[in-house]
Amino acid sequence: MVQSSRPDDGRPDPDALLAAFHRENAGRLKVFVGAAPGVGKTYSMLLGARRLKEEGVDVVIGLVETHGRAETAALVEGFEVLPRRMVEYHGRTIAEFDLDAALARKPALIVVDELAHTNAPESRHPKRWQDVQELLAAGIDVWTALNIQHLESLADVVSRISGVVVRETVPDRVLQQATDVVLVDITPDELIQRLHEGKVYVPETARRATQNFFTPGNLTALRELALRRTADRVDDQMVDYLRQKAIEGPWGASERLLACVGPDEVSERVVRRASQLATSLNAAWTAVYIEPAGQEGDAKKAVQIAKTFGLAERLGADTMRLQGNDYPAEILRLARRENVTQIVLGRSRAGLWRRLIGRSLPDELMHRAGAVEIHIVPHEEPARSPRPRFRLNLNPKGLGVEVVAALASVACAVGVGEALTALLQLPNLSMIFLTAVLFSGGLYGTRAAVIASFASFLAYNFFFIPPLYTFTVAQPQELFALLIFLAVAVLTGSLAGRVRDQRESVIKNAQVMQSLYDYSRKLSGASGVDDVLWAAAAHMHSVFGRRILFLVPEGDELQIRAAWPPDAQLDAATLTAARWAQQKNEPAGQGTGTLPRVEYQFRPLVAARGPIAVCGFEPQSPDQPISAEDERALTAILDQTAIALDRALLAREAVQAAAMKENEKVRDALLASLSHDLRTPLASIAGAATSLRALGDKMSAAERLDLLTSIEEETARLSRFVANLLDMSRIEAGNLKVNRDLVDVADVVQGAVERSRKAFPKQPVRVSLAPDLPYVRGDAKLLEQVLFNLLDNAHKYSGDSGAIVHGRKEGADVVLSVTDEGPGVKPADLERIFEKFYRGGRPDGRMPGTGLGLSICRGLIEAMGGTIVAQSPAVRRRGARIVIRLPGAQPKQLEMRPAS
Amino acid sequence: MKGVRVLVVDDEPQIQRFLTVALAAAGYEVLTAETGARALRLAATGAPDLIVLDLGLPDRDGKEVLSEIRKFSQTPVIILSARDREAEKIEALDLGADDYVEKPFGIGELTARLRAALRHAASEAQQPPRIEIEGVAMDFDKRLVTRDGVPIKLTPKEYDLLAILFRNAGRVVTHRQILSAVWGRAHTEDTQYLRVFIGQLRAKIERDPTSPRIVTTEPGVGYRAAEA
Repeated sequence: MVQSSRPDDGRPDPDALLAAFHRENAGRLKVFVGAAPGVGKTYSMLLGARRLKEEGVDVVIGLVETHGRAETAALVEGFEVLPRRMVEYHGRTIAEFDLDAALARKPALIVVDELAHTNAPESRHPKRWQDVQELLAAGIDVWTALNIQHLESLADVVSRISGVVVRETVPDRVLQQATDVVLVDITPDELIQRLHEGKVYVPETARRATQNFFTPGNLTALRELALRRTADRVDDQMVDYLRQKAIEGPWGASERLLACVGPDEVSERVVRRASQLATSLNAAWTAVYIEPAGQEGDAKKAVQIAKTFGLAERLGADTMRLQGNDYPAEILRLARRENVTQIVLGRSRAGLWRRLIGRSLPDELMHRAGAVEIHIVPHEEPARSPRPRFRLNLNPKGLGVEVVAALASVACAVGVGEALTALLQLPNLSMIFLTAVLFSGGLYGTRAAVIASFASFLAYNFFFIPPLYTFTVAQPQELFALLIFLAVAVLTGSLAGRVRDQRESVIKNAQVMQSLYDYSRKLSGASGVDDVLWAAAAHMHSVFGRRILFLVPEGDELQIRAAWPPDAQLDAATLTAARWAQQKNEPAGQGTGTLPRVEYQFRPLVAARGPIAVCGFEPQSPDQPISAEDERALTAILDQTAIALDRALLAREAVQAAAMKENEKVRDALLASLSHDLRTPLASIAGAATSLRALGDKMSAAERLDLLTSIEEETARLSRFVANLLDMSRIEAGNLKVNRDLVDVADVVQGAVERSRKAFPKQPVRVSLAPDLPYVRGDAKLLEQVLFNLLDNAHKYSGDSGAIVHGRKEGADVVLSVTDEGPGVKPADLERIFEKFYRGGRPDGRMPGTGLGLSICRGLIEAMGGTIVAQSPAVRRRGARIVIRLPGAQPKQLEMRPAS
Repeated sequence: MKGVRVLVVDDEPQIQRFLTVALAAAGYEVLTAETGARALRLAATGAPDLIVLDLGLPDRDGKEVLSEIRKFSQTPVIILSARDREAEKIEALDLGADDYVEKPFGIGELTARLRAALRHAASEAQQPPRIEIEGVAMDFDKRLVTRDGVPIKLTPKEYDLLAILFRNAGRVVTHRQILSAVWGRAHTEDTQYLRVFIGQLRAKIERDPTSPRIVTTEPGVGYRAAEA
């Protein structure tokens, strides 16, 4: 559609250049258009393809229907032909074009015949032209053939000309996107001649075809259509070219069309007519439907509207839904906002009611339109009014309550009237009945008001107009008054009803807003990705009552992250639809053009950086589109969810980045301290050794002894460190051998304490063991190592202030603990100190110890079936206590095999 | 060496222990400090002639201690550092440390550094007019370089380069120090220049340029001329 153009500044139109650029990246489409089957489209297409192939172009035949024509079949020889995809459908095997094979093969040019073909159910796209579009998007050039009758905007013209209803249609924009359109043309006589010669169809089909379709009149008309359409297309190309080259020209038409549609048959004609007008004017156009405010969505109407809108979209229109009751005002407001120059609408048969109370919509529009041109499309049988201005919904559904309410209020009025006439002399009781009518209308709507009006009319007559208790009216003036009363009652009652209807609508809108507001508050409280998605799923389920699920890409795969009900499973086809929605950033699945057979419809959740998730929901039913109201709510919810989800995703990424940075810092600190731990003893040993060699003769005996001692001590320290590292790697690798012997805990404690006294002579160690300690099952050597590590730790953190080893029996378990009086462990670190390389730190990041001792202890104790935990503070608000709990061994086994 | 007072700053008791014994045996008077704060106090009040400073201290960063010391004293400072901490070493040298020793080290290496630093500190006031290293002599008054008495022809840049290394004989000179002294402050990052010139210089002065003895490389840090 040529709409915005800036020829005045002499620069190429950016839109046109952009479109040209897109065309360069995408594959190029060449369409061979013919007026009817048999004109030789496939033949000329193959002829051209053969020429290209001889020039060395990578041409592949995706699909060609030869219809048994020998000449055509001969042309296919020598081409690479893609195998068809066999589809089982209702027991029949259908050979379909294999889109995936074509995409995988990715030739430079692919020939795909019969653009208007409808694919077998279960295919990815319902229509072949959609397959072709995917090929083009993948950068593959496509040649295809099309009979002019299959063009969407011409479908009804063709069916009127030829009497054949065209079911397979191709949207006009597909032809508009084509880089080249080639008209394959022969005269009608020639075609009929070919038909008789059996060059088009096999004889039996040919005979039927001649009778029904291939009449000279039909063919001439179709040929004219094809010629004209192709000529238009050439025009378009010319205009495009002019725009690209910034050549001044007559394209600056700023016409804009508005097609007003409703749930009726005339609307489809309105849409087609508007499309034709728009094309000839080179104008953009919009189809609008104005929904009566406060009316319950009628499923049948919704289907009709969706069909009409679908047609309009295929014909290149924007579509729009508005709500309101004053149609002319709404239409004109929109027209002014969108700079509409022409309005197309259907004329309906005006009903009796309308004639009574006012002008029809077209009349009203013409009256108020001003400068806007109005086109009226006449109705055809059995067209109904496109949108009654003032509608009485006498749908029997739900009428019961209204009837009861109306009759009850009238009965009340009768009662009040009787009572009043008994007390005082009232000249006219009509006001009482009017009150009943207003009451019914105000509370139960227009229908109740009308029922109450007639009931009042009868009751008033029956009870209060003489002769009483008959429907006869004696005085003519009484009859006149009664009729006036009826008119007034109906009018005022209806007005009251409309007020009530509108209030209902407002309340409903407010409820929607409230629910949206609640939801956004719920979302703002949700911090994590899962929180957001679960909130969204639960909310959508409560609003729509359908199954809902959310998928988020994790790596290359889409994964269900939230669903309501929570046990959703997706099959491969459904998942493909979800992936499609995510990758192409467009709806897919049920109710869309892509994979419509799956159970769910998928919508992408789009943030600034593109689609971030997919929402799947189960539509009400396969053929019923989503109502406008639901659509609005859905869009609003999805938009909000996308924003919240994007925020949550970004937060998650930030946290991950921070954690990674933190990890890196920890690793750096770890490496630094590991190298420090290895280097310090080495430095002492090397320093002392070289000092002794170089300067030993200048030292006193005591100094020499001191250096030698330091060498010994540092060697021991280094060896402990290396042993710890080895133990750790053994535990890590699962290579640790743990004996399961009976172990006397007292012996082990004794051994560990002696080792510790040798290593740290200045550290006082007190031992307190219960006399009745049972044996434990385990490895004496390793248990001693554990206790020694704990004493080593106590020494590191509390220096020479001492340590206490305590042992007691608790139930069947043996509980051993090592307590120091050092600075203790922060509550947050009580568990972390058992992690590998974690150490109670010093502010410079360097810490005493290796950070391995406790994690080795835990590894060993757990291998023996025990537990080890830390407690702090332990003594007088200081210190730490490490508590080991090991299961005691059975006394019976003890007797059988004494401890080793 | 009598009367030379060395302040040893290290928080590891085992390092302190052997340094105290060894340096005393080598004839130094030894002061010790375990923390940065104590090191600063002793540097100000203990009148040390030399400071041996470990960069990893419990209370504060060794480099910080160094720059504090440099605010009031030009006492030579020898850094104790790990081999894998190049950046730290260079930073310390640029902050005014005189040299460094990598842990683990032999006592001979440390005392050699101490001697070079002391000598340099002593000669700072009066530049010797002639320095000879491994048979290569540099006469600053005559701007003449000879090997075994035979004059060597050097370009002005090569001469300046050799001069800065010879004047700091026995001490490491960082890339940055050389570059800014010879090529000017704008070129302190152009270490590839330096590599080329050092190669040319070695070809002229070394007996075997493939295993240099006069100008040795301190990988990643700088260059060092052998002790005179």
